[in-house]
Amino acid sequence: MLEKILPNDIYSILKNRVNINSINEIRLRSDKPILLQIGSKRTFLSYGGTTSNINDAIIASKIMIEDIIFRASECSIYSVNEQIKKGFIVTPGGMRLGLGGDLIEENAVIKTMSNFSSVNIRLPHEIKNCSLSAFDYLIGEETIYNSLIISPPGAGKTTFLRDFIRQLSDHNYAFNVLVLDERGELDLGTKNCLGSFTDKISFAKKSVGFENGIRALSPHIIVTDELGQKEDIDAILYAVNCGVKILASVHSDSIESLSRKPLFDEIFKNKVFQRYVLLSMRNGPGTLEGIYNENFSRLRI
Amino acid sequence: MKYILLIFLMFVCIFIGFIFSKKYSLRANFFKAIISLCQKFDIEINFSRERLKNIFLNLDDNIKKNLKGIDKNYISFIDKETPLDKVSLFSNINFLKEEEKDILFNFFRSLGRSDLESQSKEIKNYLVKFNEFSQKTSLDNKKYGSLSIKLGVIAGLVLIVLFI
Repeated sequence: MLEKILPNDIYSILKNRVNINSINEIRLRSDKPILLQIGSKRTFLSYGGTTSNINDAIIASKIMIEDIIFRASECSIYSVNEQIKKGFIVTPGGMRLGLGGDLIEENAVIKTMSNFSSVNIRLPHEIKNCSLSAFDYLIGEETIYNSLIISPPGAGKTTFLRDFIRQLSDHNYAFNVLVLDERGELDLGTKNCLGSFTDKISFAKKSVGFENGIRALSPHIIVTDELGQKEDIDAILYAVNCGVKILASVHSDSIESLSRKPLFDEIFKNKVFQRYVLLSMRNGPGTLEGIYNENFSRLRI
Repeated sequence: MKYILLIFLMFVCIFIGFIFSKKYSLRANFFKAIISLCQKFDIEINFSRERLKNIFLNLDDNIKKNLKGIDKNYISFIDKETPLDKVSLFSNINFLKEEEKDILFNFFRSLGRSDLESQSKEIKNYLVKFNEFSQKTSLDNKKYGSLSIKLGVIAGLVLIVLFI
């Protein structure tokens, strides 16, 4: 997919002079150097490959950024405008482009974004077995524990969720898993990416997806990414009250900072989650910092 | 031998008339196809937000035939095989005037670049212009299309009379 959206010369450099599979993010800002995130290292893109010298870096232009966004929408911006309004585009295959530009509002309603000035291309990775070290801790006697994956942005939450879903299938746990993929990032479209027992609802709000999914698909487990709003928490509580197990993720750098967010008061008070998995970037994305139970006692590491 | 030559001349004159007539009908059919294309865009974009490539690929065969390859050239641009410029877009088309090419090029260049509401408005605006072109080319086809063949026949007959 990267080949389809990047300018040919930039793609050619990435393909021939940089290991594409090692890149986590490509950041382009108008009239600024192109920045690559490779593991926990940040470097500039140059015509020779990568460089730490800003003077040798390739400068991204506004036209380049607009063309990338146009191509990422499969040359049909109108078809992804609902995503653009939320500040991102997800391409087939789960590559997410975060967008910077001017939001156009009319009567207090966001209509679209225009005058794009930056784009952050996040390349999804399927890292097989990355959830294995935590797997046994999240499995209960008959089903999984309600579990929350906590990490800062870009530290591997989505990759962990994706692998965990596949591990369930690989370990012959034939639970009906519903993946509520609000941003279309979880399913990479590769063979067996989400295992054999997974249904998927994409691009739906959690509040709608949870209710419809529970009614229509009777899942044992619902997996969803990035809790962040009151209605997400309400949807989680609704599902738990329906007897559905939850595997979710949230942005935070520690359980302490998460517990300070008023949004999660009810979650913590009712001990909704029995397991917390903390990931960080310390040794690269996906570093397992600890697994905790509902009383925040450390179970591992 | 003389009569065979005269019959040959007659055919040549009719053929030249036919070529002129064909140009008028090509232009008329092309703009009708462009109007159908715009209408299809407007419907597909508004109701299913279908991607441009799929709209082009699922066009009716008759529309595709009359677009004279402009659809394929645009798909090549979507697939990053060619740039979007007038030379590539109109590579198989020699019957359009420069002014018509400019407007068509701007239309294709605007496709897929904006949100639903703006895109739909833009298509409707271009549709007004394309309707004008279509009416004019249909009128020209009626006026001059059959006239060209008739002139070819008359020219052939005049030549026969002159040579006899």
